[in-house]
Formats: sequence, C-alpha cells, structure tokens
Amino acid sequence: MKFPLRTFFAAPLFFAILHGADISPAQAEFFENKIRPLLAERCYECHSAEKKQKGNLLLDTKEGTLKGGDTGPAIVAGDPAKSLLIKAVKWADKDLQMPPKKQLSDAQIATLEEWIRKGAPDPRDGKREVTRIGKLFEQAKTHWAFQPLGKAGPPPVKDVAWVRNDVDRFILAGLEGKGIRPSAEADRRTLIRRVSFDLIGLPPSPEEVESFAKDPSPDAYERIVDRLLASPQYGERWGRHWLDLARYADSSGMHNDLDRPHAWRYRDYVICSFNDDKPYARFIAEQLAGDEVEGTNEDALVGTGFCRNGPSNDDNMGNNKEQYRLDELDDVISTTSSVFLGLTMGCARCHDHKYDPITSEDYYRLLAIFNGTEKLGVPKEPKGKEEVNVQALIETGAKVRPTFFLRRGSLQNRGPEVQPGAPAVLAPQPILFSAPAENAKSSGRRRTFAEWIGAPENALTWRVLANRIWQHHFGEGIVGTPSNFGFNGARPSHPELLDFLAGQLIASGGRMKPVHRLIVLSATYRQSSHGTESGRRLDPQNTLFSRMNIRRMEAEILRDSILSVSGKLNPQMGGAGIKPRIRADLLTASQRNKWPVLATEGPEQWRRSVYVYVKRQLLMPMMELFDAPVTTESAARRTESVVPTQALVLMNDEFVEDQAGFLAERAAEQGGDLPSVVGRIYALAMSRPPADARLQQALAFVQSRENGYAGEKVQPAQARHRALTDLAHVLFNSSEFIHIE
Amino acid sequence: MLQLTGGGFGALALRSLLGGDQLLASEASRNPLAPRPPHFAPKAKSVIFLFMYGGPSHVDLFDPKPGLIEWHGKPIPVWKPEDAFMGRKTANIAMQSYYRFAKHGAAGIDMAETFPNLARHADDLCVIRSIHAESNNHGPALFQMNTGFTQPGRPSMGSWVTYGLGSESENLPAFVVMLDHQGAPVNGAMNWSNGFMPAAFQGVPFRSAGEPIAYLTPPKNVTGSQQRARLDLLRQWNEEYAAANPAESSLAARISSYELAFRMQMSASECTDLAREPESVRKLYGLDKPVTQHFGRNCLLARRLVERGVRFVQVYSGGNDGPKAWDAHDDLKKNHDLHCAETDGPIAALLDDLKSRGMLDTTLVVWGGEFGRSPVAENGKGRDHHPKGFTMWMAGGGIKGGMIHGATDEFGYNAVENPVSVPDLHATILHQLGLEHERLTYRHTGRNYRLTDVSGEVVKALLA
Repeated sequence: MKFPLRTFFAAPLFFAILHGADISPAQAEFFENKIRPLLAERCYECHSAEKKQKGNLLLDTKEGTLKGGDTGPAIVAGDPAKSLLIKAVKWADKDLQMPPKKQLSDAQIATLEEWIRKGAPDPRDGKREVTRIGKLFEQAKTHWAFQPLGKAGPPPVKDVAWVRNDVDRFILAGLEGKGIRPSAEADRRTLIRRVSFDLIGLPPSPEEVESFAKDPSPDAYERIVDRLLASPQYGERWGRHWLDLARYADSSGMHNDLDRPHAWRYRDYVICSFNDDKPYARFIAEQLAGDEVEGTNEDALVGTGFCRNGPSNDDNMGNNKEQYRLDELDDVISTTSSVFLGLTMGCARCHDHKYDPITSEDYYRLLAIFNGTEKLGVPKEPKGKEEVNVQALIETGAKVRPTFFLRRGSLQNRGPEVQPGAPAVLAPQPILFSAPAENAKSSGRRRTFAEWIGAPENALTWRVLANRIWQHHFGEGIVGTPSNFGFNGARPSHPELLDFLAGQLIASGGRMKPVHRLIVLSATYRQSSHGTESGRRLDPQNTLFSRMNIRRMEAEILRDSILSVSGKLNPQMGGAGIKPRIRADLLTASQRNKWPVLATEGPEQWRRSVYVYVKRQLLMPMMELFDAPVTTESAARRTESVVPTQALVLMNDEFVEDQAGFLAERAAEQGGDLPSVVGRIYALAMSRPPADARLQQALAFVQSRENGYAGEKVQPAQARHRALTDLAHVLFNSSEFIHIE
Repeated sequence: MLQLTGGGFGALALRSLLGGDQLLASEASRNPLAPRPPHFAPKAKSVIFLFMYGGPSHVDLFDPKPGLIEWHGKPIPVWKPEDAFMGRKTANIAMQSYYRFAKHGAAGIDMAETFPNLARHADDLCVIRSIHAESNNHGPALFQMNTGFTQPGRPSMGSWVTYGLGSESENLPAFVVMLDHQGAPVNGAMNWSNGFMPAAFQGVPFRSAGEPIAYLTPPKNVTGSQQRARLDLLRQWNEEYAAANPAESSLAARISSYELAFRMQMSASECTDLAREPESVRKLYGLDKPVTQHFGRNCLLARRLVERGVRFVQVYSGGNDGPKAWDAHDDLKKNHDLHCAETDGPIAALLDDLKSRGMLDTTLVVWGGEFGRSPVAENGKGRDHHPKGFTMWMAGGGIKGGMIHGATDEFGYNAVENPVSVPDLHATILHQLGLEHERLTYRHTGRNYRLTDVSGEVVKALLA
C-alpha cells in the first residue's frame, strides 16, 4: 500500500464532487468497450496503483486521470487539443511520446479524442482498479482443485451385486442417478486383449487367450493382471505415457538438431522407475532435484534429464546468452507446473495469469528455485571431444545467482529481487527454503520444492496423478484437461472418485501398481464397449463410464503389435535409440539427421517403439502420422486423428508389407490345412479365432488370390505365401486390429 | 454411406482435438479441414509464400542506400555490437552494395540488376522496406516468420490459415511445403509444424521428383490389382466393424480415408506431372535451364496446387545452410548472384502465369526471408544477419501493386518509417484471406492463442 495517508482522508470529498457527474448507460458502455481496455492494455503498466506510477500519473482512476501527474492534468474534458494525453499519444512533442515503445494506432488515438470531446465520461469511482488477479484469488478459495482431499467414502448404491470394488460404487452411483444401466462384462477374449494392451502395450498370445477363456477359477483374471503388472514390459508401456509428459526426445530440435547421445538414459530411468513402482514423491524429487536428494547416485542424476528434455539451441544460441538461458528455464518451469501440478504457468512470465490465480511474482519465485542450475553434459559442437555420460541439471555451489522480477518478461525491464517460493494460491503459508550450509554443493531449493510438491498434503499433485492413471486406463480422464486443473480446465465428472483414488495413491506410499490393480479389477473397467441402450441415450459421450471406450492404438502400440503378431518383436530392453528404416527419399527433408539408409530391417530394428530414436526434425513417419506427440512441449493426451496419410502408410510402407509376409510364414510354419493356417493368422492378429462366416470370407479371399497368382505363373508355394500375405496385410489395416475394445 | 461430408485431405475425424480443452460434443467428430467461412469477404483465396531462407540482403536487392557508398569502409553510428550474430567476424565497417539499382515500372520501384525478369513486374509489387524481426539467429527467426514466435511449439502460418478456412481441395493437402533441392532449412519440419494444433493442420512436404507425397505408391512387388483386392476385403470388414460399433464415428471416417487415399494416388501424381504443361509454360518457368529448373519446377507446382484449391503453399529457396542458402556471410556477390539467378526467372514466370490465368487477384504472393543482412561488412566481402530493418514484398491477393512502404535509415539499419513487425505482416496476410487476426484464436492449455499473440495490426496502407 503506497497510498499517502491523506488520500484516505480526502477520499469521501472526492467522491462527493465526482459523483455529481452521472453518466448515461451508453457513455458507460463506450468507456467499458473502448477506453478502459485501451488504458489497461497500453497505459496501466506505467500509470496505475498496481504497477508503476511514472511521473506521478495514475490513469487507473477517474480522479487520477483528471488530476494528472507532474506535468499537469492529463485531460481537459471536451477539448482533445488541450489534453496532454492526446499530445502524448500523438507523439507530437519529441519529449513526450507515450506509450514510448510503440505508438497507438491512428484508430486508437481517434477513439481517445472522441472520448475527450464527449466530455470524458468515466464510470470509474474506486480508488484503484480491483484487479482481475485479485478476483481470481477470491475465486480460488472455492475452486475444487485447490481444496483438501474430500474424505467422503464410497456412496451407497442400489445394485450392489454389480459392484466388485469401491471404484464401482462411485461410478454406479453416478449412473444410477441418471437412470443408466452399466454394460455387461466384456467376454474373456476381449478382456485379456484389453488389459494386455493397457498394462504392457502388447497383445496376448493365442495360447494365453485360449487358456484364459477356458480357465474356470475365480481368480483367473486377477492372476493375469498380476502377471502383467510384474512384467518388465509394464514399464515400457507406462513409461511411454510419462515420456509424453516429459517431452522426451533424442535431439535438440532447433537449428542443426544436435544429437543428444545420452538422452536415452533418462528414457531407461523412467522405464525402470515404473517397473520398480518407485514412490511418486521420490520420482518427482529425482527429476527436479536428483543432484540434491538423499542417496544421490547416477540414476537420480539421470532423472534430472526431465528438466533437460525440452528443445534447445545450444549450437546456435546467438548473442543474448542470458535471454537464451531464461528461455530454457521457462520450458522447465512451464513443464514442471503443468506435469506435476496441472497448472499453466508459462504466461505468467510476462503478466499475471489472465484466467488463473497465478501472478508474475509466482513465476519468478519458481525461476528463483531453478536459477542456480547448470546443464551438465551439454553436447558441444559435433566435433567436440567431451565425453559426458549423463544429461543432467545440477548446481555447482550453494550460492545461487539472484533472481529478479522481469516486467513483461523483459531483461531490459528488471524489477526487485525475488526469493524462491511455491505458487501463492497453493501455499498460503510460504514454504521454508532453509539456507544451505556454507560448503553445500547446492542451494537445496529444488529439493525443498520437490518435497513440497510430493507431500501428502498437496492434494493437487495427487489428484493430477490419479487422473492421469484413470485417463490411460479408460481413454478419458475424470478431468478432461489432464494438465490444466485451473479455472479454464474441465470440471471432474466424478470428483469424489478422483479424491478417493488420490487418497489410495497416498495410502500406498505413492506407488501406482496397487491403484492400477484396483482400477483394472473393477467391474467398471471390465465392461463391454458395446454399451447399453440407456447409456447411449442419456450419456452418448460416455462421461459417466457406462461402457468401455473403444480406442485406437497409439502409434507405438500399433507398430509393436504388428511386430509381436508377426513373431519378429525383439524384446531387448534399454540402451541407445534404434533407427528403423525410413524411405531414403524422406530423409532429404532433413539433411542433418544422419539416419541410416537401410535396404532391409532386422532384429536390431524390430524392437519396441519406445526405443525408437526421437529425432525432433525427423520423426518416424509412421509414429508422426499416428499422432505421436510433438515434443516441443509436454503432451498430456494424444489426438486420435483419422487422416488418409495414415491409410497410405499402412497400405504402402514396406514395414507393413514385410511383417505381413512374416505373419503368413509364421502361421504356415505350424502346418495344417488352409483353414487352420488362415484361422491361426486371424487368431494371432485379433486375439480370437474367426467366426465361421469370417473364416469363409478369409478362405475365399486367399483362394481367389492364390488362383490369381497361379494364373500369373507364380510357383504354387509362393502363390500360397503371397495370398496369405495379402490376408495378413488386410488384417494389419483393419479397424478391428488397430482398435482396442 | 459416408457420415462425414466434405472429405478433405487432412483429417476426416478427430476423436479428441489435441487442445484437450475442446471437449464439446459437436467438436468430437467434425472434419477440421471442411471449408469454413472467413470472418469477412476475402480478397485472396490462397497464399504462395516464397521463402528466401538464409536472409537476402535488402541493401543489395530492394533498398538502395547511396549513403553506404559515402560511408564505405567507415564505421556507421547506428551499429551495435550486440546486433551482430557472428560477433567474432563482424566489425563496424560499412560496405557498399555490389549491385547497380534502377527504377522500374510506372511506379519507379528500385530493384537491383540481379532481377532482370522480376523487374517487369515492378508495378505488381508492394515492396515493404521496414520489416523488423526479433532474432538475428536463423532458428528463432525462422520460427518467428513462420509461427509468430521465436520459440518452437507454435503452429505455423499455414496451419493457422487452414485452421481458419479449411481446405477447398478434396484430394490434396491444404498446406504444402516445397524445399530447395539443397535440402531443408534449419529447424527442419518444425518450420511447418502444426504446433499444438491437431496433425491435420501440419504442412505436408511435396517433393518435386519421385513420389510427391510419402507412401503414395505401394512397394515394388505389389501390383495395382493386388492392392485393389486387398482394399475390397478391407472395406467389407471395416464396414462390418463400423456397423457393430455405431457410436464410433471415427470408424466410418476410417473407411472413407482409405477410399480417399486410393484416389490421392492418382490426383497427387496428376498434379505433379509437369509433362501435362505445354512446352511454352515449362520454358517460361526455366525448366529447360539447369540454374532455374529446381526452383522453377516448384513455382510451377505451386501454381498447379493453388489451381486445385490448396490453401497455403510455401516454397523455399535455399536449403541446408551457409552458401547453399541466402546466408551470405563470406561472399555476398557470389551468393546472391547464384540465388537471384535461380529465382528471378521462375518468380517472374509465376506472376505472369497467375496473371494470365486470372489467378493473381485471388492469390497472395509473399517474398522474403527470416531477416535481412547487415549494411556492414563481414569477412570483407560478406554480410552478417540483420533483423532490425529489412525488405519483403507482396503481390496479388488484393495488395496494392507498384508501391514502396516504409523505410530504413540512411544506412539500411533500423526500420524508421512506418515500421512493420512480423505480427503486423501476419495480421495483414490473414486480413487478405478474410480472417481477423484477433478473432482467429485456438484454445490450448487454458488460454486462447493467436498467430499474432498480443500484437499485430493490419497495414492498411498496403491494401488495394
């Protein structure tokens, strides 16, 4: 509060005088639509109580505008020509040109003149503008996401027989409230295919399918789930979800797209962390402060790769190194806040958030947390000899460079020094950053911050995580905007369920596998995707989960399942990224890629797609076309687009052609008559034997193709193989193959 | 049987738009490339952006500075060391132009001798001499010119335009990019990225040789009849699957995507088959001369694409880096002699051709790079990057021809008269397409984004 005391005493007097001039609704509307936004946008920055008061001029009140500043009244009502404000914005006088950086447009100047000519009607009567951000903080007090976790237990339901565990009570209560029946349980073949893709990203083998389909024991499904959760392929599947959030790539993206030869260690770290079911708080701490956490080792250090995955321009950063450094930290701040807290903070770099209770000060407090960091193992120019095996973010001493508030994000506009802190809306009691010991290796700020994020009391963190887990199991979150829990985000469809799941995560010590288990064992999860009449009628978008959503496979899962079905998948885990074949003529789009030109692929390339080298300027076409994330920023959900170029790549890529041939070979190797070979191809691809009609269609197709090849004088064995390849190719392209029910 | 009208090359359906915030049921299965009405009556229907990657020198091509002759070899007062990109090699020593200038057309537009053909179009050109950009570094500057923002991650202008207007082409991409035969510019495909928009709005690289679009043709051992047989069975099974799951509109979209893909194999090849053009046209574009054949091909293709309803075409001159682009650090004359010779004839031909077909009125042609070049010397014979004042030009599409707008100072250093920012330029381009840049917003991570972010004003003086 910088108001001189006398202002307060004088206030009633001003009120009395100014209020005499009442204004019409039309005048008020003119002011609100044309004048106030213009003053707010172009003048308040330097002339308002909230910001600066240059030349002692305040334009955020009627009083201040009339009184003017050091050079006299800003306006003379009715006379634009005599008004200082107009002189200033016209840049008529060399010493008085406002706003100084960029002149108003002619239209804007004309609007101001018109306003003054009409007597400058001004409805503002307060002492200062009630700021938008002030209102947002007020609203935050009741915003659902910022409240402590609700403790309400599962609600009562009528159809208790349907319920398998507490998850179902929340869902069923919602359905019963709307008069919607849940769907019947999916058949076993559908269920095992669904849960396999969901938990490990690969289809079950036909043997697994058939044994499950015939297993009468009551815990048959549970045993499948436990086996899948214990499989190392779980980490490859769920680690990939995390890599989307972490904007993971193996190259820098900008300019010459420098390789990051050690980025894969972070990818492997993520996969291992998921397989180990690492407590989430520890996972957060390692990624933000791996160099500061207790028991720091190389693994924890590798975890800080999270802060290093963003695009960078190290080979060509230009003259303004400080600007470049701040741009890189901006990526860290934006990613950290959206991934862990579901808050969008990037825009607060230049101004208070327009829609959320996040101030610019909040932004610079976060900057102060990360401001002491340096990049370890920065790839130098390609010729550089430096051999560093990790790509980490570390501090090299306890003393951190001071952080300054930068007005409008500009280095030329430095404000007061800022201390580290969490966003005020989440931490009304500022968290304590204790001073590091004299000889400490780092400031400890990131560790303190990470511990605050991962604390059980921080409900937001756990809600965000619970929602992400639910989203991947069902294809749709409880909150539809998984990285935005702010005012502009979606509202939760089942807030009590979300809090319940968040509570389960906390209770399990931040381990995710128990929560996966709870969810996939629920009756809700086991529903068929066909839905019920009442569900389709009353909730066509399925926001209440009365059926399982049908989902298209993600790009990686599509490629992996083709390889798995053809029998060629090489299960080798970890290590440097692989570079599968990309048609040579596509490589010319980036000559900086050094992607090898391959005539044929082999086991070395036939590994899971999570290991495909992510070259930012040259994404694998099949990955890119099937909506693999653009890695410039954190990706919280994937698009499911349907584009003809997807059809082209599945129709015409040699990969699909080759693998279709391998599937035909694999099925034929086991011998048997044509119906059994065809049936085997089908069962491998679809995780179920073909229905009779389908088998007849497939047989007719294969025989007709075979006859055709025979007519072209192809050897019989070869004609059979080619016909079976045609069938396998059709299956790989089919909607049923690439969708998970 | 198609449930979705409008077809369109891009996407037939999007189960969830990447924005994540857009969860309206009506959005769920709409075709993002269906034609959409503009905000107001447009002048232009399409844009051809001739991108001179590397940074052509304004003081050597369109902005003559007699002052530099006077100051040649001497330090100029406006130079600042931080403006130089190659700090080590650039000192403050003015360098006069290597080229003679002459005034052309009724309007007397100044152009260097390197543009003998373009000169005949002087009265079509609106030369803006006061463009200023924010970065003196290729990567960020390319991002800014393409996406409005110096950092990666935003959608490019072509994405914004197709997002705003959709596509008029059924069987071709809405936003096409053609690269120089020397390769891609730095930032690669991120220059035509859809950023946070769905992939349907991404620029599609079109190759002038071989397959125009990736995966357009089957592998060598797969015959046409074989492919057709596969597609027939596929269609049958996909229809059965869609019928069994009527709530999933994307399944129907998927069926039509295969039909469209099959048709595209024909239409895209037809479009790139330049043998269908008369000899005279091929000659006009310089396809018969080694120096002009590459860029000429791409200019002719650009015309054919626009003719078939493609909305936004970007044609790059200059690829890779250094001398292969307009990035004349070491020997400006050698560099610009080559790149002017490669592009002058084809660009003039493009303008001739568009005009004679009555297409220039509805096609906005934009010429320029990510920045200009410094009036001081680098390495004695070259020039460094310079974003503080440089030249671009526009033609057609409702832009006033035969005019010069804005000015740099006497050295060609700072834009001092009627400065035009990159957002101003973007706002003006959108305006010609009938789009109000402040209304063309995309919701992402809880806020509305614009190509012009928080600034940009339509430069009214340029409008016919």
